[in-house]
Amino acid sequence: MKHAIEWLRRLFHLDSAWQEEIESHLAMRTDWHQQQGIAPDAARTRAARDFGSPLRALEAVRAVHWAPWLDALAQDARHGLRVIRRSPAFSVAAVATLAVGIGASTAVFSVVDLLLFRSLPYPRADRLVSLGFSGPIDTSEFNVGNAYLDWRVHQHAFTAMTSMYPGGQCDLGEAPPLRVPCIQVEANFLATLGIVPAAGRDFHQEDDRPGAPKVALLSYPVWQSRFGGDPGAVGKTISLDDAPVRIIGFLPRTFEMPQLGEADVLLAEQLDEGVARAPRSTVFLRTFARLKDGATAETARQQMLPLFTDSVRRYVPPQLQREVGLVVRSLRDRQIHDVKLASWLLFGAVLALVALACANVANLMLARAAARKKELAMRAALGAGRGRLARQMFTESLMLSLAGGAAGCVFAWALLRTVVATAPEALPRLPQARMDGRVLLFAVAVSLAAAIATGLLPAWERLSAAALAGWHSAGSGRSWARPVLVAAQVAISLVLLTGASLLVRSLWKLESESLGFQPRRVVTATFTLNRQRYSSVEKQDAFYSEVEQKLAGIPGVSRFALSDTIPPSGGLRGRPFSNIRIAGHPPLPEQGGMVAFRYVTPGYFRALGIPILAGRDFDEKERSGTETPVILGQSLARRMFPTENPVGQRIGLGDDGQWTPVVGVAGDVKNSGLTDASQPEYYQLRMHRSWAPGLSAVALLETPLDAGTLERWVRRQMATIDPALPVTIETMQTRVDRLSERARFLAALIALFAAFGLLLAAIGLYGVLSFLVAQRTREIGVRIALGATPGQIARMAVHQAGVWTLTGMAAGCVASAALGRIARGALFQVSPFDPLSLAAAALVLAMAAAIAAWRPARRAAQVDPAVSLREE
Amino acid sequence: MKNTDRLFGSLELLVLKTLAAGPNHGFGITVHVETVSKGLLHMEEGSLYPALHRLERERLISGEWRQTDNGRRARLYTLTAGGRKRLTENEASWSSVALGIERVLRFV
Repeated sequence: MKHAIEWLRRLFHLDSAWQEEIESHLAMRTDWHQQQGIAPDAARTRAARDFGSPLRALEAVRAVHWAPWLDALAQDARHGLRVIRRSPAFSVAAVATLAVGIGASTAVFSVVDLLLFRSLPYPRADRLVSLGFSGPIDTSEFNVGNAYLDWRVHQHAFTAMTSMYPGGQCDLGEAPPLRVPCIQVEANFLATLGIVPAAGRDFHQEDDRPGAPKVALLSYPVWQSRFGGDPGAVGKTISLDDAPVRIIGFLPRTFEMPQLGEADVLLAEQLDEGVARAPRSTVFLRTFARLKDGATAETARQQMLPLFTDSVRRYVPPQLQREVGLVVRSLRDRQIHDVKLASWLLFGAVLALVALACANVANLMLARAAARKKELAMRAALGAGRGRLARQMFTESLMLSLAGGAAGCVFAWALLRTVVATAPEALPRLPQARMDGRVLLFAVAVSLAAAIATGLLPAWERLSAAALAGWHSAGSGRSWARPVLVAAQVAISLVLLTGASLLVRSLWKLESESLGFQPRRVVTATFTLNRQRYSSVEKQDAFYSEVEQKLAGIPGVSRFALSDTIPPSGGLRGRPFSNIRIAGHPPLPEQGGMVAFRYVTPGYFRALGIPILAGRDFDEKERSGTETPVILGQSLARRMFPTENPVGQRIGLGDDGQWTPVVGVAGDVKNSGLTDASQPEYYQLRMHRSWAPGLSAVALLETPLDAGTLERWVRRQMATIDPALPVTIETMQTRVDRLSERARFLAALIALFAAFGLLLAAIGLYGVLSFLVAQRTREIGVRIALGATPGQIARMAVHQAGVWTLTGMAAGCVASAALGRIARGALFQVSPFDPLSLAAAALVLAMAAAIAAWRPARRAAQVDPAVSLREE
Repeated sequence: MKNTDRLFGSLELLVLKTLAAGPNHGFGITVHVETVSKGLLHMEEGSLYPALHRLERERLISGEWRQTDNGRRARLYTLTAGGRKRLTENEASWSSVALGIERVLRFV
C-alpha cells in the first residue's frame, strides 16, 4: 500500500520535481562559472552547454521510473494470456458467465438510462416541472382554463409558466391528407422549455391572440420528408384541415414534447379568455413551468398552494373539491411516473445478475487458485512479493473481465434489438435505446468492477501466508470464501426467482381478469371525422348512417355496432356522480366520484357479449324517437337504486332539465384499464340527428373471418364513403393485450434474468462441488477402503452442498421479504409476500441444486480406493 | 575523458564513492569528481540524473530536498546502508577489472 502511494505520488507530482532538480543543477553550474569570473549571460550559456539537452535528461529520468512498471505490466499480461490459454474450459466458462451478466446489465442500462438518469433534451432540464390538478378525471396532472389564466398572472414560484392543449390531430396536406398529431401550444411554450427552432422563428405573442392568422411550426421529420430539410421552406403555406397555414419555422431534430406525446405540427394555442372564463367552460390544458434557481418542486408547490386553493374554491364544482389536489413534479417524474418502479426493478435485477456472475467467476478462480497453489508457492519462493503476485492475479481477472465485457456488449446489442423488436411500446423511449458511448462506458465500468470483485478475493485468499508456505497438495478446503460465495449465489438466485414468479403470477391474474365482455372475434375500426368537413349534424348523421349500413353489410359480419368509445382502455366521457338526478328522489350524495358513459347503437351489447341483466336492450326504432333511453351498468344501478328496480325509473343526466327512461341494466365491464377499478358506467342510445356522439367513433364487427380479410373489406367500404378519412383497424384482442404488455414485458425479462441466475448458481454449485470431490479423492478412497458404502460417501459429498444451499435459501427468503415491499406497486392482486411464489422459487432452486450436486456426488461414490491411493 | 558513465558501471561507482564522503547534490557530485580527478574525469551531466534516480529506486541512495549554503534549493543524496555495501563490492570488482585490463594492455 505504501508503495502504491509512493508510486502515485511520483506519477502525478514528482515529474515537476525532476525538472526542478535539473534546473537547480543548471543554476548552480551558472553560479560556479560566474565565480570563475565569467559574465552572467555567458555563464548561463556555458552551463547549458555543459549539461547537454535537459529534455533528454528528463526523458531518461522518466524512463527510469516508468520502465519497471511497464515491464511488469507486459509480463503480467503475457503470463495472464498463457494461463488463460492453458485452461481454455475455465476461461470460456468465466468469460461466458461475465458476458451474460455484463451483457444483460448493459442492455437494461441502455433502456433505463434514458428513463432514470440521462438528462432530458432541454437546457437545464432539471429546472422544468409539470404542474396542475390531480383528480379522478385523468391519471396525469391537468389544468383548467380559468385556473390557468389566474395562475399565469399571479404566480411567483416560477420564472416561466406555459401551457398546451393535449392531444389534437389535424389533416396535413391535400389529396389524400395525412392525419397527424397537431398540438396547440402557448406562445412561450418553446422558450420556457429552452428550445429554439432549427429554422425560422418561434411563435410571437401576436400569433397567440385569439383570431390571429394561423401559423405553424413543423417537426423535424416533416421538414425532412416534405421539404427535404430546406430552410427556404419557412414562409411557405401548407394545408391543415383544408385551410392554408403559413409555416413560420421548423423544430430541431432532438425536440420532444415534454409529456412525450407526438407532435408533427405545433400551432399557437390562441387561448380565448372569454371562452375559458365562461361558466361551465371545459378548456383542459397541460401546464409546465421552469423553477427559479434554488427552488425545488416542493417549495414551488408550497408557493402555489394559495393560488390553487383559490382556484378550487372558485372553479371546481363543490362535489369534486375534496377530490382534487395540486401536483408539482419534475418533468422526469411526469414522464416516467408509471414506469419508474418497473425501470428500477429491471435495473436491480440485472445488477443482482452481475453480482451473481461475479460470485460465480470468483468462485471458479478460487477453485483454480487451489490447483495453482504449487505454482504460486514456487513463484513466492523465487522472490515474487505478495504485491507482485496479487497484481499478477488481478491482471488475469482484468483480462477475463474485459473479454467478458466485450462479449457482453455483443450480447447486450442482440438482447436490446430483440426486446425493441418484440415489445417497442412496453416502456417509453424504448425504441430510442442505443448502445452509445455512455452505455459502452457503463459496460467498461461494470467490467472493471467485475475484475475487482473477481480478482481481489482470490488474490487475498491465495496470498495468505499459509497458502504460500505450503507445498502440500492435500488442500484442506477449509476456506470460508467459497461457501459464502455459493450461499450468496443461491440467495441472489432465490430473490430473482421469487421476483419472477411473483410477476408471472401477477401477469396470469391480470390476463385472466374478467373483462365483462368477450374480446374474441371482434374487430374494431376507429376514426375521427374532420371538424371542417363534417360541420353539421346532417353531414355527421349521413356519414354515420352510411357507415352502419355498409359495414354491417360486409359478408361474414354477424354483429355490428357503433360507439364513441370502447372498453377496456379508458379515455371515455365522464360526469360527476352527484350531477345525476332521479325523478321523485332526493339529490344523490356528493363525493361520489365520476361516472363514465358512452353513446352506443343497439347492437353494442350483443357484439361485445355484455349481458343485459334486467330490462331490455336498446331498439333500433327508438333512435328516431324524442327520448334518449339509458341502460345502466350494474354497479351504477346498485348505487343509484339500492332498494328499487332501476328499470322504468326516469333520470336527469344533463343540465337541460330533460328526463330519460332507464330501460335496462347491463353487466359491468373493465373500462379504465385492467388494473384499476372500473368506473360506474351508463349507456345512452346513439340517436339519429344528434350532436352528442361527437366526431370520434369506433365500429365493432363480430366475424368468424380472419382479421386480415375483414380489414381489407372494411377499408374498401370506408374508402367509398370518405376516401380521405384515416381509419385504424385492430382486433379487440390486440387492444386488450396492449394493456398487459408492460406487465408481460417485465415478467418476461425478469424471468429471463432469473433463469440466467439459476443457471449460474447451479453451475457454481456444480463446479465447487466437483472440485471438492476431486480434492478429497484420497480421503474418500481411504474411507471406502475402511468400509464406507457408496451411499454414505455420496451423502457426505452432498451434505456440504445442502448446508450451503439451505443457508443461501434462508438468506434469500429474508432478502425477498425485505425487497418485496418495493415490488408491491408492480404486482396485481398478488401479495409481495405471496407464499406460493416463494415456495415455487425455492422448489425450482432446490431442484436445480439437486441436479447440480448429483454428478459430483456420483463421482465421489464411484471412487476406486486402489486408484486414488496410488496417486501421489 | 567523456564517456565515464557506461564503463563497467563506473558512473555508479563514482557517485557512490562521492556520497560516501557525505551527502551531496548532483552538481556537487560532478564538481567533486572533476576536482578530485584533477580534471581527468569529466562527468556528462545529462546522464548523471537518470543514474541518480536509478540508484535511488534501488535504495542505494536516498534523496531529499534541502536548502544549500548559498540559498539554492537542491536535492541532496545520502548513501544508504545498502549503498555502502554495494560500494564495497564494486570497489573490489573495479580494482580487479582495472588490474586485469592493465595486465592485458601491458602484455606485449
